Amino acid sequence: MAEKNYYTIDPEGKLKCMKCGVPLIKGKAKFMYLDNGFPVELPVCPVCGFVYVPEELALGKVASVERALEDK
Amino acid sequence: MAQIQERGSTHVYKVNKISKEEMESMVERCVYEHPPFCSAACPLKLDARAFLEAAAAGNFKKALQLYEKIAPFPLVLAMGCEAPCEQKCRIGEIGDAVQIRAVEEAVSRFGQVQKLGSIFRTRKKKSVVLFGSGLFALFLAGEIEKKAYPLTVFCEESDLESFLHTETGFLDEDAFRAELKRLKGKDIQFAFGCTIDRAFFEEKRAAFDVVCASPAVRKKVFPDAVSIPALMYCENEKLVSGPYAGVMDAAFGAKKAALTVDRLAQNLDPRNTRGQEGPVESALYTDLSEAMALTKTPVSSAGYTKEEAIEEASRCIQCRCEECLKSCAYLAHYKKHPGLFAKEIYNNTQIIMGDHQLNKPMNSCALCGQCTVVCPNGVDMARVCLDARRNMVSTDKMPLAPHEFALLDMLFSNDEAFLSRTQPGFESCKYVFFPGCQASAIAPETVKAAYLDLCERLDGGVALMLGCCGAIGDWAGRTELEAQTKEFLDRELSKLGDPIVIAGCPTCKKELQSHEGLRIIGIWDVLLKIGLPEGGHGLERPAALHDSCGARGDKSTQSAIRELAQKLDCTLVDTPYSGDRSPCCGYGGLSAYANREVAKELTDKCLERSDAPYISYCMACRDRFAREGRESKHILELIYGTDAGAPPDISEKRYNRLTLKKELRWELWQEETKEMKLDYDLRYTEEARRMMDERMILTDDVIAVMDEVRKTGACIFDEESGLYIACRRIGNATFWVKFSREGDESYLVHRAWSHRMQVVKREG
Repeated sequence: MAEKNYYTIDPEGKLKCMKCGVPLIKGKAKFMYLDNGFPVELPVCPVCGFVYVPEELALGKVASVERALEDK
Repeated sequence: MAQIQERGSTHVYKVNKISKEEMESMVERCVYEHPPFCSAACPLKLDARAFLEAAAAGNFKKALQLYEKIAPFPLVLAMGCEAPCEQKCRIGEIGDAVQIRAVEEAVSRFGQVQKLGSIFRTRKKKSVVLFGSGLFALFLAGEIEKKAYPLTVFCEESDLESFLHTETGFLDEDAFRAELKRLKGKDIQFAFGCTIDRAFFEEKRAAFDVVCASPAVRKKVFPDAVSIPALMYCENEKLVSGPYAGVMDAAFGAKKAALTVDRLAQNLDPRNTRGQEGPVESALYTDLSEAMALTKTPVSSAGYTKEEAIEEASRCIQCRCEECLKSCAYLAHYKKHPGLFAKEIYNNTQIIMGDHQLNKPMNSCALCGQCTVVCPNGVDMARVCLDARRNMVSTDKMPLAPHEFALLDMLFSNDEAFLSRTQPGFESCKYVFFPGCQASAIAPETVKAAYLDLCERLDGGVALMLGCCGAIGDWAGRTELEAQTKEFLDRELSKLGDPIVIAGCPTCKKELQSHEGLRIIGIWDVLLKIGLPEGGHGLERPAALHDSCGARGDKSTQSAIRELAQKLDCTLVDTPYSGDRSPCCGYGGLSAYANREVAKELTDKCLERSDAPYISYCMACRDRFAREGRESKHILELIYGTDAGAPPDISEKRYNRLTLKKELRWELWQEETKEMKLDYDLRYTEEARRMMDERMILTDDVIAVMDEVRKTGACIFDEESGLYIACRRIGNATFWVKFSREGDESYLVHRAWSHRMQVVKREG
């Protein structure tokens, strides 16, 4: 069975990790908040593991899930 | 950097119980749901308010529907009713009561008669018999038919007209015809021309489940039967019947009897589960100040015409207690009266698992206490909301997010920005000036001028304490944090020689009053006593004085401010809701942090009272009014001739506090502050600055991110925008900065955002 991901972003080679000098790739990441975890696929540096959370995601989906969890 | 512990988990399955008595003591104070006085007086419980509203709108169909709920034969009731409602009409206290009965009559005449019941209407299985005629029998027949029991009426009259005619001689020809038509349309079996005696009665009753009779038949058949008036029931004879006097009493008796029939048909005791019957007392509050039309529309012998009925119904002032909803933008926003709202908020604290949907409303209240003052019964939503916040903090169910920025700001005020010093040359001081965190953040020059003035003109030494009084911790429901602040301030005050506190802010004054043994006065009291300094002047235009919610109930502060304004030659315009009734500017209770929309509505509510410039005596009020573009001055700005200028953003508010501290330390105590200059150039686009203010991101947060980038080189490059992006976890949030490099040591910030969730790389 395919693994569940709550959100997927593919950087399509447009983002580059300046520390490692390599492009970010679509990689596995996890959001954690108040003892809850959500697997996602985000732009990740394959070398240092830097995970990028774009502005639209932070202010959109992430913010709304935060609000929902805060009221649990 | 100060931090506050985030709640560990959403999986907390305990609650701190709120006692039923505690909850009800708050909920029951609200009389919003009490019936209007006219309805309370009506034994049949006509919703007279809704009825008159519909009639006033010319909607006779709806009005008649409402009236038919209580009257199966509306014209019989309307033309014979004694109208106890009119005696209780509140307008009657200052003019003519609304002629409700005459309007009922007109509605019954001109309203559209309901369509007859469908032939497919489901009838109940149990059957009912009614012996006799007259008003009680007529109304009871109507009520039983409405309840869909198959009903048979045995009467002595020869036909339907004679049956209806009994005891209804007051109906005119038109009314009689209308009611006859209505009676004909009802699903009732009639047996006319009966000779009702004991033998006939016993013979017929056997075929029915429930037996009813008019009082006349009862007397004839069972001369010794005793009826219980509350039930209209003769228990020994198992007969539904009872005495009545007059039309209204007959209708009320029929209502009670119909309920008894209902209970008997289900083989239940007719005494139980009856609900409240008959007239009640109402504690509803009605504001009569806006009642205009005090003279009744004259009624001719033919009753009102349709137009006259509309005119008369329009005189109804629709009694409702909405004092709090009229004055408080928070309650108006949620469109809920405190009785209901308090219950929901209390229930929110008692949820063990699931969503706490009332968190946001509970955290949006300004805790200002205006509702308590305007409510005739002292409803106290501030108490409800604060208790609820404390309750949820105590069980670790309270989200930190809505209050974290404000709480960190309080810690900042009492840490990096805190300053406590005796007046130069004094070991201990008689006074300490406590301007409040918002004054130092918004008007540092004014704070400085006031302090220097107090030092110069007061004997015994004036110490200075720049910090937060702890109100923020209190408002957030964090009692532990509030207590820590209290202890901290007490310790610092004792180092200064336990001086008398001169508060610059009414909220600080109120908050500090909870400290044992502390003497507190307002700077306004001091200035009235020692006189105004040179150079102060009022506004050239007439201005509105906004009373701070922190000074609610503090008449002495309110009048001292007015006296100062007078001395400054200010011309003050009258505004509604001033003094103790003043609304909150939106800063109180951390409303602005939990719900910007409500906070803005609170501010707007303050400003809609007048078009004039506003003078306030709380710096937060001054700031919020200025933010909305209103000319806004703190009274101390007028007194000291200073101008705090345009409202600062959140970062400037911190910067102002630090700068004030630094300047005063140097100028008065010759203490040097270590320069915290950046060793690189960091600038912001205008959009970035606006965005940061809106998203509660401080320049300090951005600097922390940039420091990290410079240290580790960890950042990404976005080809599409040509900008760099970096992040750093600070406390309970991750901050992101999008920037460009303007040279080796120079950066320009374009965008910034944050999230509270932590993100990590996942293996696999």
